[in-house]
Amino acid sequence: MQYPLSKSLIFMKIKPYLKQVRRLSQLICLIIFLFLFRQTEYTGSDTIPYAVNILFRLDPLVLATITLAQKTFVTLLWPSFIIIGLTLLFGRCFCSWVCPLGTLIDGSGHFIKPGKAFVRLPYLKYVILIIVLISSVFGVQVLGFVDPFSLLVRGMVFSIDPIINYLVSLVFDSVYTMGPAVLSDYTEPLYEGLKTFVLPFKQSFFYLSFLSFFLLIFIFIMEVFGKRFWCRNLCPLGGLLALISRISIFKRIPVKACKNCNLCETKCRMDAFDKDHRFLFEECNLCMDCLEFCPDQITDFKFSIPKNHGQMNINRRQMMAASLTGLALPVLSRTSAMSKMPYDDLIRPPGALPEIDFLASCVRCGECMKVCINNALQPLFLEKSLEGMFTPKLVPRLGYCEFNCTLCTQVCPTGALGRLNVKQKHAFVIGKAYFDTDKCLVYAQKKSCIVCEEHCPTHDKAIKFNEIKTRDFQGNFIVLKQPYVKEELCIGCGICEHICPVQGRSAIRVVGKGNKVGSKSGYE
Amino acid sequence: MDRRKFLKQVSLWSGGFIITPPVFNLTPKLFASPLIKPDIIVAKGDDYPHMVRQVVQSLGGIQAFVKKGDKVVIKPNIGWDRNVEQGANTHPMVVKELAMLCLEAGASKVFVFDRTCNEERRCYNNSGIKSAVKEIQDKRLRLEYIDDRKFVSVNIKNGKALKEWSFYKDALEADCYINVPVAKHHSLSGLSIGLKNVMGVIGGRRGKIHYKIGAKLADLNMVIKPELTIVDATRVIVRNGPQGGDLNDVKKLDIIVGSVDPVAADAYATTLFGLKPNQIESTVEAYKRGLGQMDLTKCNIRYLKA
Repeated sequence: MQYPLSKSLIFMKIKPYLKQVRRLSQLICLIIFLFLFRQTEYTGSDTIPYAVNILFRLDPLVLATITLAQKTFVTLLWPSFIIIGLTLLFGRCFCSWVCPLGTLIDGSGHFIKPGKAFVRLPYLKYVILIIVLISSVFGVQVLGFVDPFSLLVRGMVFSIDPIINYLVSLVFDSVYTMGPAVLSDYTEPLYEGLKTFVLPFKQSFFYLSFLSFFLLIFIFIMEVFGKRFWCRNLCPLGGLLALISRISIFKRIPVKACKNCNLCETKCRMDAFDKDHRFLFEECNLCMDCLEFCPDQITDFKFSIPKNHGQMNINRRQMMAASLTGLALPVLSRTSAMSKMPYDDLIRPPGALPEIDFLASCVRCGECMKVCINNALQPLFLEKSLEGMFTPKLVPRLGYCEFNCTLCTQVCPTGALGRLNVKQKHAFVIGKAYFDTDKCLVYAQKKSCIVCEEHCPTHDKAIKFNEIKTRDFQGNFIVLKQPYVKEELCIGCGICEHICPVQGRSAIRVVGKGNKVGSKSGYE
Repeated sequence: MDRRKFLKQVSLWSGGFIITPPVFNLTPKLFASPLIKPDIIVAKGDDYPHMVRQVVQSLGGIQAFVKKGDKVVIKPNIGWDRNVEQGANTHPMVVKELAMLCLEAGASKVFVFDRTCNEERRCYNNSGIKSAVKEIQDKRLRLEYIDDRKFVSVNIKNGKALKEWSFYKDALEADCYINVPVAKHHSLSGLSIGLKNVMGVIGGRRGKIHYKIGAKLADLNMVIKPELTIVDATRVIVRNGPQGGDLNDVKKLDIIVGSVDPVAADAYATTLFGLKPNQIESTVEAYKRGLGQMDLTKCNIRYLKA
């Protein structure tokens, strides 16, 4: 049963424009993506008005790994069924009609010219997919390292966005500080306009900006080994969608490149043909290019009942190796000393699940770090073994957790940070503060201070003080207000650590809940 | 040195002082302030905008402070991410009414800003000041976030505890600077009123001010001298200041205090908390530096009833 679309009049009419329609769809999706990226910020409201995390919630790979790791269905991820449904109908159309990374890669083709070497490693994406899925069964989430959206969003949050803001500000600031006032009268309103609509409100600073930048740039540089190198060979989401598209009903014909021409095979950006010039449905991302350049207009699309298409781009040996690696990663991670060693500075954001569940649920997308109003959330590096890399922690000396702010809990796509209302947030303990009396001005130098007490936001202040009579170092009697932490009231927001006026490390510091990987014990 | 030489030198020196025209490094206003009895206007009621108008009128009308074409700075306390009821920030209605008065007097620019303690956008929003100021649709009025490029280092002449600190350029350059603090409890300095409000126009690591806070605040106030101080005591935090949060710590007083003398304004507002002016270190230090009168018996206190 086949229904070639060439028989339908409408299809014939739109056929020449389909490539343009695809491009338009890519452009619109990219604009929506960039708009949502910009909206991932405090905009005057306590709630984020848009589903800024929608990209991750659309990602079936996120759904798969979170479901496997948590052994429950996370309702937040329902939109990924849209993509699954779309793929069942039309195959891997997501990759060339929607995916913003794919669009950027296509766009980069104007700057990065594919070299002579055409590298084919199509099995690698399945290998990566298998590793990700199997390790997630054991609660180890490695998706964050390879998920296209995690790589893209993180690269933009940690490096691209700060870099652009830095460069633009540099230009305007130099005009403002060094140029004549006449000139800055014109540039300042422009700067203000840019700040309102294009640039972030403040310059942000991130750890791992180098790493995230090069991981993202790497995807584009690989284009010299052929168009869509990342999508063809590495992208695990592409791999998953390829698997699903094997039973999709919308297919391109002919199933084999014509003998005398094979233009579609040589020009295909997805390399969707095997050695025998046979067309591989699961590799095709429906870019519609071949509709355009097929000399005899043979290329067509049809609806047909799925049947066995034979061999995929992966062999048994590769599958076995991938499965074993997927099994090894969780064991390696859990037997690392770093996962056992207590780490004071591990302060998870408010709403975070118990550590082991948190690690299993966090897809390292960087959304919480992007939205953090004080740029206080920062990615971990190797402090908690490879497993913790790119997960968020609060760094109070850089920025504290704003008492009335709940934005990070609103943007988490997987529920690794559970949504909190303001009242719940006020009571959510992320750590506890303690004094370093060797450094504190009051204890160590007998100077009056209590800036920490002044800033402590809890409604019964967690930082209190005693008035004590003592002698200063000259021997004079003085009255000092000596601060202390009432532990049961402290929620660990870190504003005390942030504003402590001593040089270098603060004299009051927040210690995280101290969860170990593999234990569910909390702070108590 | 023998007696003869000593006398000769003394007479020459004193003679020299008499002959040379006197150059006192004091502004006339400062010189005069302890001599003239400053007015303190106290308004009580629940129509805050009306009370602000009354207070300013009783001090000589807004025209006495704002001339046509002046650049005016209105400096409220917007330090904390707290709402109006919680009393940590100046009441938005007070700020709004003052801004309207300045615009009516023909100011060319009216700036409203504060260097906040919590995140600035949250403070401006939650305090209600942003929406209140936005209601006045006038291009001359600007509610701005602090721009780090505008901090300039200032040498504090005769500063006792501070010799140098960075200040906000717009505050230094204002033709008329109106201080609109909220009166509230402050655990270190006792109270935070007008003199403490200067913290919002200085740069640097402000936590360092807290050691010898009274003397340092007085030094800072030698640089920033408000033409007018309006103290918002409509509701005051009596415990757990300066940011409070618990409504049980807030007391409704419905009072607005105005004076051209920043020390007198603080001194009077102190009494609203059942304290004496000399219990607040910054008030005493500012008085010692000749910044104003702290002895309320030497002030004209006038009460207005709405």
